[in-house]
Order: sequence, then C-alpha cells, then structure tokens
Amino acid sequence: MNKAILSLITAAPIVWGACAATVPPPVQRMADAESAQRSARELGANNEPSAQLSLKLADEQIAEARAAMKAGENQRAEGLLIRAKADAELAIAKAREKNAQVAGKDAVTDAAAQKATNVGQGAM
Amino acid sequence: MKSQRKLGILAFTMIFGVAGCASSLPPQDLVTARTAYDRASKGPAGQLDPADLHLAKEQLDAAEAAFQADGDTQNTRDQAYLAARKAELAEVTARTVLAKKTQAGVVDAMHADQSQAVADTAAELGRTKNQLSAQNVAYVAQGVALKDAQARAAQAAADLAKFATVKQEPRGMVITLSGSVLFTSAKSDLSPGAQLKLNDVANALTREDPVSKMVVEGHTDSQGSASSNQDLSQRRAQSVRDYLVTRGIASDRISAQGFGATRSVADNASAEGRANNRRVEIVVQAPPAAGAP
Repeated sequence: MNKAILSLITAAPIVWGACAATVPPPVQRMADAESAQRSARELGANNEPSAQLSLKLADEQIAEARAAMKAGENQRAEGLLIRAKADAELAIAKAREKNAQVAGKDAVTDAAAQKATNVGQGAM
Repeated sequence: MKSQRKLGILAFTMIFGVAGCASSLPPQDLVTARTAYDRASKGPAGQLDPADLHLAKEQLDAAEAAFQADGDTQNTRDQAYLAARKAELAEVTARTVLAKKTQAGVVDAMHADQSQAVADTAAELGRTKNQLSAQNVAYVAQGVALKDAQARAAQAAADLAKFATVKQEPRGMVITLSGSVLFTSAKSDLSPGAQLKLNDVANALTREDPVSKMVVEGHTDSQGSASSNQDLSQRRAQSVRDYLVTRGIASDRISAQGFGATRSVADNASAEGRANNRRVEIVVQAPPAAGAP
C-alpha cells in the first residue's frame, strides 16, 4: 500500500512532464507578442520612460520565451508570451497617452499664438 | 491498517494544508493585480474607459478563480499578471481620452476665437462701410445743394439779362434799366411798359434770390440843375422801389437812393451818352458769406 502511494507520488510529476512535453510551440502567441512589440516601438514607446519600461519587459520576456521554446519548454514560453503581449500593449497605451499629451500642449500653444495674432490684427 | 489511516490523514492534511496555505498567502502578482484594479476603478477609467476596466475586472476574477481552484500556480500568477497590466492599461487609456478631450476643447475654443475675430472684423468693416456711404451721401447732397445754388444764381442772372443789363461788380449784382424805357421825360411815374419789365425783375428777384438786400439807385444826365436832377433821381428810384415792394419784395430788403448826375457812365455831350446816363440801377448785394454754399 505504501509502495502504491509512493509510486503514485513519483509517477505524477513524470505524467505532468509528459503532458508538458505535448504542449505545441506557442507560435501564434509569439507572433501576437512580437506584433504588439513592433507597434509599441513604432508609436515611440522608447521616447517615454514609462512606456519604455513596459516595452523593455516585453522584449526580455519575448527573448526568454524564445530560449524556452528552443529548450522545449513550450508551457513556460506560453506564459512568458502572454505576459510579454500584455506589457507590449501597455507600452502602446502609454506611448499613445504621451502623444495625446504632446498634441494637447501643441494645441494650447497654437491657440495662444492664434489669439495673439487676432489681437495683433485688432480684431478682438 | 492503523498506519494506512495515519497515512490517509497525513495526505489529507497535506492537500488541504497546502490549499489553506495557498488561500491565505496569495502570490505577489495577485496582490499587485488587486491593488492595480482597485486604483483603476477609483480613477477616471470608470467614466472614460469602462470597457477596458471591465476587461481588467474579468481578468482579475479569472486570476482569483484560478487561485481559489489551484492555489499559487504559474497559471494563477500569469492570470494575475495579466489582470494588473489590464488595469493599468485602463488607467492609461482613460488619461489618454482625457488629454484628447482637453485638446479638442482647446481646439474648439481656438476655432470659436477665430470665428469671433472674423465676425468682429466683418462687423467693423460693415460699420466703416456704412459710415463711408453716409459720408458719401452727405457729400453728394452738399454737391447737389451747391450746384443747385449755382444754377439758381445763374438762372437769376440769365432771366434778368433778357430785359436789362446785368453786371457783376464788387458791390454786388447790378441790374441796369434804361431811364427812357421806365419813365417819360422829367417825370417819375413809371410807364406801363416799365411796369411789365419791373414785374419780370421782381419775379426773378423773389424766385431766385429771396434773401439778398438791394438798393435802387436813380441816375440822371447832366442837363438841368443839380438839385432838380437829385430830386428827380431820388423820386424815380423811390417809385421803382415802391413798385417792386408791391410786386412781393419784402420792404425791409430794398431801399432807394438818388444820385442825380453825379455818377455818369457815359459822355453827357452826346444824345446817346445822355440816354445811357439816364438810368435806374438795382444793386443786389452779395448774400452774407455764412449763407453762401
């Protein structure tokens, strides 16, 4: 009886391991994560410290996932890619926020200049 | 059998002990996710980006469920990690929406300012245009009045020239009527023909120039005594003046004066010269400068 329980306990991780080995390489997740990573870079995530940090996290996790896939650790790679995509998407959002803020400041400057022109022309 | 029961209890305790441990000590990722969601839900995301906030909530629920079911597993941590990122994403997106709204407000205000400036300028131009056309109308009216006055004066002169000599002199417009036409010899009564002529003079003077003062001057030739000539010239001037008053010229505008032979205009030696000297002159004084157009 003891032996049976013991063999069950030792067998379980092996069975799980076998299960893990059957997980296919997360190719689609890799493509999704890389796509988000590219978008973030194109939106200027590297120009905004907060967005840059999120993008760096994504970069690292994608690299780690690539290594894990090479080592056959597809399960681990999948988790890393899920995280990487979330970080890249956050970097995109932060870059967009930065762009909106810059556009807002530009608009304020433009408006002030416009108003000065109007006043200068004696219209107001 | 006893040892089997002991082992069973041990296994039971281990399983539930681990589970209990897991539920009391959530992984750091889950703690972070809870905090992140809590913060996001209290911020502007609820108003400005409810969709992303809802996704974050669903992800957090999934992480909590995974933790409840399986405890602190890699899957639980991954789910929690996603939940934290989604909560932050909702926050960031809400701030972006806010920035864009602010920008839109600024741009709208700028456009409103521009429109106002254009409207103000247009209104100003309209006012200026109205002022200019009012001025123009005034100028045109003045010009018309001036031309009118000039035309009237010219008309008066032309009318008079038909039956008398009219000259412009420094003392005013001088209408010279021949004495031989107006009077019979040595008399001061107006002949019927003279009355017709004077009617025209009176009409012209009242119609064309109703304000100017005038003096009727009587003149004779040098034949006869100076005193009789003076007397005759005075009476003749007076009759012409009186007749003109009966024809509608205000009596305070017109006076009479005799000059005898003292102001000859021609040689008294010839009959023609004497005829020219026997005359009545109506001097229409130039209107005062203020009344001139």
